[in-house]
Amino acid sequence: MAIILAAVAFAVFEPIQVLPRIRLAPGYLLTDQNAATLTSEDVRGDIVLYNFGYTNCGEACNSMNSTMGAIRGRLDEVDTGDTAVRFVTISFDPGTDNPEVLDDYASQVGADSESWTFATAEPDHLANVVKAGFRAYYEDRGDGSFSFDPVFVLVDGWGVIRGEYRYQTSADDTDKILRHIDILGEEIRNAHGAASLAYEAAHFFLCYP
Amino acid sequence: MTKLQKRLAAVVVVALLGVAFAWFFVLPRMRPHIFSGAVIQSNQKAPRMELDAAFGETVRMTDFEGQVVVVYFGYTFCPDVCPATLSKLADSMDILGDKARDVQVIMVSIDPARDTPELLEEYVTYFHPEFVGVTGDAQTVNRVATLYGVYYEAQDGTAGTGYTIDHTSTVILVDRSGHLKLVLPFEGTAEQIAADIDYFL
Repeated sequence: MAIILAAVAFAVFEPIQVLPRIRLAPGYLLTDQNAATLTSEDVRGDIVLYNFGYTNCGEACNSMNSTMGAIRGRLDEVDTGDTAVRFVTISFDPGTDNPEVLDDYASQVGADSESWTFATAEPDHLANVVKAGFRAYYEDRGDGSFSFDPVFVLVDGWGVIRGEYRYQTSADDTDKILRHIDILGEEIRNAHGAASLAYEAAHFFLCYP
Repeated sequence: MTKLQKRLAAVVVVALLGVAFAWFFVLPRMRPHIFSGAVIQSNQKAPRMELDAAFGETVRMTDFEGQVVVVYFGYTFCPDVCPATLSKLADSMDILGDKARDVQVIMVSIDPARDTPELLEEYVTYFHPEFVGVTGDAQTVNRVATLYGVYYEAQDGTAGTGYTIDHTSTVILVDRSGHLKLVLPFEGTAEQIAADIDYFL
C-alpha cells in the first residue's frame, strides 16, 4: 500500500527527476590531439559528453561540433557542483586523423584540450568502443568518407550512459542536453545521506524527463 | 501501588517493549538497501562473452543464468590490485555462507599473452575453489573488456616482473537473469560486496 501511494505521489508531483542509467559506457584507450593517451579511467568521476565524427566530414560534423561548442559555452547555466563536465570527440578515421590533424581541427572549432578532447584509436579497438560500446554506427565508404549516424552520448562519473541523443528532434539538442546535465548535476550533488534515497526512489519509479 | 497504577505500568512496559522490538527488529528490515556500487536499472542483458577456461572448456555468460555472476578483469602477474580484489571477493563468499552456492565469480584475464587458462585456474582457485578464470585471443578479450567498461594498457615493468598492465579495477555484478545490475568500486569492503550480492540473491 505504502509503495503504491509513494508511486502515485512520485507520478503526480514529480518531486525529483533523474536520467535513466542506461548501460555501462565502454572502457577505452585512445590517443588525443596532443599524442597523449586518453582512457576511460582518466574521465572517471567527470560528466562526459561524447560525439563521433572525422575531420574530413564537412557539414554534418560542423553541426555536431557547434552543438558541443554551444553546450560548452553555456555550462555556467547548469550546476554540477564539484563535478567537471568534459567533452570528447572520437574520430573513427584513424588513417587520416593523426594527432597533428586532430590538433589543427580542434583549433578550428575553438576547442581547448583541457575540457574538449579530440581522440582516436586503432580500427579494431574503435569498432569495439564506438560501434559496440557507444552503439554509434559508422561505415567507411572507401573513398575517404564515412556514412554515420550523428549521436551524442552523456556518461556519468561512474561510467554509466545516462543519455543518448540519436535523432534531431524539434527541441534543440543544446537545450535538451544542458537540461540533462543539470539534472545529472543535481543528482550527483544529492548522492549522499537521506537525499540519495529520494533519488533512488525516483529511479525506482522511473521519474525520467 | 493501586490496581490502576499497576495496569498503567504494565501498559507502559508493553508499549516500551513494542517500540524496542520495532526499533531493533522491524525497522532494520524495512530500511532500503543502500548499495556500495552504482545500480543500473536497465533490462539490457550483460554483454555476451565466450571465453576459454582450463581443460578446453568454453565459458559463456549464459552458462550461469540462475546464478548471480561477479565479473572481474585482471591478470595473474598483477602485483597488488587483483590479489586484493580476489581476496575481498573470497571473503564476501565466506560472509554469504551457503548462499554463495548461487554466486559465480569469474576473473577475465586481460593478459592472454601470459595467462593460459590452466595458469588462470591455478591462480583463481588459490583464492577460492569455486572461482573461474577465463581468457581468449587478444581481440576477443579487448571486445569483452571494452563492453564491460574496462580499459587496460600494458606498461613497462622491471626485468624481474616483466610488463605490468594498468586496468579498470571495478567489479561487475550480473543478476540471476543475466542483466548487468551493479558496478562496484575497488574501495568496497568484503562486507559491502557481500551485502550487495545478497540483495540480488
